[in-house]
Amino acid sequence: MKKSKFPYIVLTPMLLLLAIFVILPIIGSFVIGFFDYNPLRTSDTNVFIGFDNFLSLFQDELFLKSLSNTLYFVGVVVSVNLVFTLTISWALCSLRSNKWRSLFRVNFFMPCVAPLAAVALVWSRSLFASRGGMNDLIGFFGIAPVNWIGSASTLMPSIIILSLWADVGYNIVLFIAGMQGIPEDYYEAAEIDGANPIARFFRITLPLLGRTLTFVISMTLISQFQAFAQFSIIASNGGTGRAGYVLSTYIYDVGFKNKDMGYASAVAVALFLLIMVVTLLQRRLSRVDWGY
Amino acid sequence: MTLSQRRKISHFIIIVVMLGIGILFMMPYVWMIMNSFKASVEIMKGVSLLPQKFIWDNYVTVATGAPILTWFNNSVIVSVLTTLIVLFTSSLAGYVFAKFDFRGKNMIFWFILATMMVPSQTTMIPSFLLIETIGLYNNLAALVVPSMVGGFGIYLCRQFIEDIPSSLCEAACIDGARNLYIYWRIIVPLIMPAISALAIFTFLAKWNDYLGPLLYLNDTDKMTMPLALRFFSSQRKSDVGAIMAASAMVMLPVTIVFLAFQKQFIKGIAITGMK
Repeated sequence: MKKSKFPYIVLTPMLLLLAIFVILPIIGSFVIGFFDYNPLRTSDTNVFIGFDNFLSLFQDELFLKSLSNTLYFVGVVVSVNLVFTLTISWALCSLRSNKWRSLFRVNFFMPCVAPLAAVALVWSRSLFASRGGMNDLIGFFGIAPVNWIGSASTLMPSIIILSLWADVGYNIVLFIAGMQGIPEDYYEAAEIDGANPIARFFRITLPLLGRTLTFVISMTLISQFQAFAQFSIIASNGGTGRAGYVLSTYIYDVGFKNKDMGYASAVAVALFLLIMVVTLLQRRLSRVDWGY
Repeated sequence: MTLSQRRKISHFIIIVVMLGIGILFMMPYVWMIMNSFKASVEIMKGVSLLPQKFIWDNYVTVATGAPILTWFNNSVIVSVLTTLIVLFTSSLAGYVFAKFDFRGKNMIFWFILATMMVPSQTTMIPSFLLIETIGLYNNLAALVVPSMVGGFGIYLCRQFIEDIPSSLCEAACIDGARNLYIYWRIIVPLIMPAISALAIFTFLAKWNDYLGPLLYLNDTDKMTMPLALRFFSSQRKSDVGAIMAASAMVMLPVTIVFLAFQKQFIKGIAITGMK
């Protein structure tokens, strides 16, 4: 370890940038939330109004709707994502052939590199169209056509489907890497003892995946709470019946379309606290101390 | 049935099921590409997936009706510039945290990690006001400057540099090498896996960023691809064929780069989960 001025010379500009572009905005959100702030007005009418913005949140039906939509979206997307990616990774790991495994991994990961804005357009205009791919697919199983993004009850499930398609690849790659790190002897020992594949998954794979699992869950939670592009494109102004309003798009609409930036900041603070609480809770619940 | 026979059968079943799911996963691409070669009227009728009448018109519409090259250039400038800067700042800060002792080191490191936890969607209003105040509104620099330093990159680089034996740096130091020389000649070449993983992440995040351009840019000829695509589609709401052609032109470059470097991509993603 060395001692010199070098660290301070290197870090000072970087810390300044972080303070300006990360810390200042987060403080700003809290501060602006206490003002009746509209950028189009002259500055003396943008007055301090205390907790008014925060209190009105509880009476704002659209906010409450966005809040419940967000929880619905995150809850379903994250849990389906985890079950699906764990199953797929586990199946791929049990393949002895590296070739097939890497082929499928590339296959599932490919959508992750596409811009969500483009993904949202392709799905909403081609696949969810009345004569689009999804109706063809369910028609194959004898199900009548669905008005996917056009009806309030199926709007959110539609966005969930495309978000899953666009995102599961990341977790599959991470889980496969995690599973491949588990020593082979454990499985062999279990197999000799007569443990079936399901038991091996729940008794060996899942517990020993500990750190990867915690990491993946918290990353997925945080990123899905912030989902924006697909909602902004498919459910502009909340979409049919406002069923597609989530907190991130609600903040944008209130702040930039209605120019009510004070109130939008209050909504942003609510989203911030929500994400913090959920991540802390998740950390607490899934504290792991297994090692191998 | 013997164990190996059973293994072979389960192996076979897994491959068949995966192939089924894998093909389903490719269908959105197939639909996008097929529709991009159809007239919009034909898409509305939805007779068959294959174009009944194969046309290039949609691509011509995009190429002539929109400044697609400008948008592409904007995307390249923003993504490449940000990536290069992030690689430099992250590796340099990572080096400092891994190989130097200084007062407040742990506190500063925790501060940097904490900035990673701030969800950017919750700060869009103050961020916009800040960009406007410092005069970067409607300037491509607004997409680069705020993301020049990132906690994730610093953390990743520090993890890798810590594994480099300190004796290597000390030996160079005794030989009279300066810090920056050690950084450039010893550290950087040894953490190439981390650097390429970080490059992929940063580039993709910038290339695909939609909220940033939406907040900070106004003129259509300043837009980067994802936002430009939204703009284009709202201009031609009913022309599904052209929208699919434009989407394909936005999606295919990254997809091709990914397929060409898929090994590095996958390794890079896996690395970040392990460290």
